[in-house]
Amino acid sequence: MTKVLDKAQGIIVAGVGGQGAITLAQLILGAAWKSNYHCLQSEVHGMSQRGGAVNAHIVFDSEPVTSPTIMEGSADVLIGMEPLETLRYIHMVKKDGHIISSTSPLINMSTYPDESRVLAAIKEIEGVHLVDTDDVSKQLKNRHAGNVILLGMASTFLPMEHDLWNSIFEERFQIKGEKVIQKNIEAFAFGRNLINT
Amino acid sequence: MSKETKQIMAMGDEAVAHGAIDAGVKGVFGYPGTPSTEVFESAAIIIEGKNDGRIARWGANEKVGYEMALGASYAGNRSLVTMKHVGLNVAMDAFVNSGITGVHGGLVILVADDPGMHSSQNEQDSRYLADFSLIPCLEPSTPQETYDFTRQAYDLSEKLDLPILIRVVTRLAHARGPIDKIPTIPPVEMGIPTDNPDKKWVLIPANARIQYQKLRDKMPTVVNEMSAYNKIEYKDKKIGIIAAGMGRAYLDQLCQTEKQLTEHSRFDVCAYPIDNKALRKYATECDAVYVFEENYPYIEDQLIAFTNEAKIHGRRDDTVPMSGELDLLKLRKAFSLELPEAKSKPGINIPNRPPRLCKGCGHSDAFNNIQEAFKNIGVPDPRVFGDIGCYTLGTLPPYNSIQTTVEMGASLGMALGAGHVGMDPVVGLIGDSTFFHSGLTSLVSLAECKGNVNFIVMDNRITAMTGQQKTVAINIIEDIGKAVGLKDDQIHVLKPLPKNNEENVAQLEKIFSHKGPDLIIFRRECIEAYRKGLYKKLYPSE
Repeated sequence: MTKVLDKAQGIIVAGVGGQGAITLAQLILGAAWKSNYHCLQSEVHGMSQRGGAVNAHIVFDSEPVTSPTIMEGSADVLIGMEPLETLRYIHMVKKDGHIISSTSPLINMSTYPDESRVLAAIKEIEGVHLVDTDDVSKQLKNRHAGNVILLGMASTFLPMEHDLWNSIFEERFQIKGEKVIQKNIEAFAFGRNLINT
Repeated sequence: MSKETKQIMAMGDEAVAHGAIDAGVKGVFGYPGTPSTEVFESAAIIIEGKNDGRIARWGANEKVGYEMALGASYAGNRSLVTMKHVGLNVAMDAFVNSGITGVHGGLVILVADDPGMHSSQNEQDSRYLADFSLIPCLEPSTPQETYDFTRQAYDLSEKLDLPILIRVVTRLAHARGPIDKIPTIPPVEMGIPTDNPDKKWVLIPANARIQYQKLRDKMPTVVNEMSAYNKIEYKDKKIGIIAAGMGRAYLDQLCQTEKQLTEHSRFDVCAYPIDNKALRKYATECDAVYVFEENYPYIEDQLIAFTNEAKIHGRRDDTVPMSGELDLLKLRKAFSLELPEAKSKPGINIPNRPPRLCKGCGHSDAFNNIQEAFKNIGVPDPRVFGDIGCYTLGTLPPYNSIQTTVEMGASLGMALGAGHVGMDPVVGLIGDSTFFHSGLTSLVSLAECKGNVNFIVMDNRITAMTGQQKTVAINIIEDIGKAVGLKDDQIHVLKPLPKNNEENVAQLEKIFSHKGPDLIIFRRECIEAYRKGLYKKLYPSE
């Protein structure tokens, strides 16, 4: 049974061009669609995809959705694939919203602040859940695991049913084979357990 | 949903492609440009899977793309042409005059505007160009409407004997959502027009006067037909709202939580030209009118002309900022609604992360070569006329190698002009796709130029910036140079690789010191396209 929502849910995925922010967002959009919610996603294409800051918004609701973008200060969940990019969108999140962020920096700019200052700033934020995606990916022997670990963590704050997510991975990674599907399911479960335990 | 419909997930751009193909479009044309590119790309993929005689072809530029679509329409086929907003400037001559000739097979123009300038040099509003050309315009607000409007536009186009412009903006072009699709119809074939004795397609003045008068006379019918898309609902007349395009999308979303807004009168605009009488009546009867439109005050200015300015609230009175795109927050502020409480900003300064050239990109080697050569011949503060493509990123540190970017092809024309008035040395730098788009016509005048004018073509044999589309022609730039009168020793092909640095710099020093025109071609594959194996796919006979 799909949970009836009392208001539209807004999720932001933030990262650096090439990290897979749009792919990750599409997994969430697919889950919302499969849950029979009304849904829209806004994504950034073009120049920014060349290593610049990239974000995607997903909005879903039991009622019709017409705005593909989320209002400043009202996102329910922010998923940051890189700590500086997480900090860039903090103001988009509502006061009691949840932030899931990787602590593994992607430094492709000379003006990147001191890493320790970035980590200190991100730890100060209320409602933040951190994971060192580089480190955990090594542990899981899956160098693409980072994004799906973040998704697993974020899923604990989303209304979709748990079983639905596995079917999303099956659909999305079908052409890549059973092994890839299982790797993703494993990474997802790992992320989910980080929050649930 | 009936049995006949099928729900798919599609971006606004993809919804246009589906709408056109489901309406029986035969030819899809265009020139790539964010945020419009995915319309053509999506159509090309669908067409590839159908094998029912449809075709998708990029033009050398938007004007050629438009002309191909108009030719296909004349030949009795439904056609689609796609471009970004500034592309319509390039296609403007064909666009305006196609309103005068009229069409045969339905002709739809998809133009994607870019309010907020996510990937553009301006945020011009295509509704003015449609208005100016007396060409009707549909403006959807969701992927579903984008699909429906595009599909319906073909019947409208044939009924009104006019092209129809579908206007989307970035936030819709790149908004992904479910759409309900109806079954596809096969390509429509109408044959060559039989009303040719009218010579309505031959715009010599004698015919053009007749056609133009017919178009003017037809406008009441056009307004009437398009008004079916616009919805007026009078409720509380203290406040009337007018909303169009994404303004309507945001307003609808806001009404979900702010039910009191649904008590106001409302005028939804989905199609242009708007019925002036209805607009004037609405503006007169409502005490105050709020206008939400993306993104110039197009409807708003018409309202101001009808009534007094004080009762109209929109961009002119700063109810909404004049520049930039709309969003939910701007609408909340316009109605003085409570603003959401956000998390506080982090205590550290967040530097921008601008896009950059890919690691290993040949353009970066070319920029290094150019800078070093300038330094060695004693030009301390070199200026380069630049253009539009990935290489525009050469304006950023560490390259700082481009000092102008104005419009497609401007680099070469500006370099010629600067050379004629005595700037020395002059460099105009352009990519291969942009060269074929609007640089060729400047190259024609290079040989006769007496100044030290150097044209550099950054030739990666692909339209890299917009997602690596096929370039209309490859490997012919040096031949064109010869054909327009340049001698062999004025044409130079260099390969921008780190190992060639010394040799390239030495050659550039000589070329930049030569007091006459030169054509330099930096030729190397786009590294991303090369890694993906795209060249073999795009140019199989190579």
